Amino acid sequence: MTELRFHEELYDGFAIDEAVKVYAPYAAIDLSRDGKHYVVKVTASAETVEQGVTEGDLGAELLNYALGQTISRRGAEAGSPPVEKKEA
Amino acid sequence: MTSGLGDGTATIEVDEGLYPKDAVYGAAYIFIDRCYVHLDRAGEQRIKVTLKPKKPGLDAEALVGEFQNELLGQAWRRQIAEENRAFIESITARALGGAAGPPGLDDLLAMDIGEESAFEDPLGIAMSWEEKYKKKDKPAEGEAAPEAATPAEGEKTP
Repeated sequence: MTELRFHEELYDGFAIDEAVKVYAPYAAIDLSRDGKHYVVKVTASAETVEQGVTEGDLGAELLNYALGQTISRRGAEAGSPPVEKKEA
Repeated sequence: MTSGLGDGTATIEVDEGLYPKDAVYGAAYIFIDRCYVHLDRAGEQRIKVTLKPKKPGLDAEALVGEFQNELLGQAWRRQIAEENRAFIESITARALGGAAGPPGLDDLLAMDIGEESAFEDPLGIAMSWEEKYKKKDKPAEGEAAPEAATPAEGEKTP
């Protein structure tokens, strides 16, 4: 079992959910919270291991996918016009 | 704190006061095809970046150096973009305005053109041809006719 920890200030929760959905067919994935971290426990399925994919690689790919999605989501949000703060 | 990347990793700690979070994300995104990248908090205003090369032959420490250079480049690019934001927005607005083409009939009808707001015409472009080139009155008797009207000596008249 490989444990991945995502800090809530650095990773988007929706991005992690999306990554979990993408890799769910290849592993048993458990999602939980620990303080400010989202904790994802990955256990590769027997079929995945038979195909030559290690559990570590699968977890690392999930890690990259979640980061990529987080950055994409931030970029999309940055593209919207900024809200100006009006002084009273 | 575990990164979940196992052995063969290299880590960097980044101060958010020097490098904004967006610069860290930008640099991480550049490396995502060559490395597995993990971000974590290493304290207040500090981000820990863990890199693990995807190919076994790549040197993790060399990648750290490259990452730091990329980080600096990203931070600098963002600062330049921020300083020139107003200028870039002005150029973009002008380009979009030009791309919209000339005003339509509705726009022209909506324009308020009156006696006071009408444009000046110093070159007489808006004047009619007749008005601009109309014949002048004949000179009064006793006045000499213009020289151009009298043929020169030896010149035949039709």
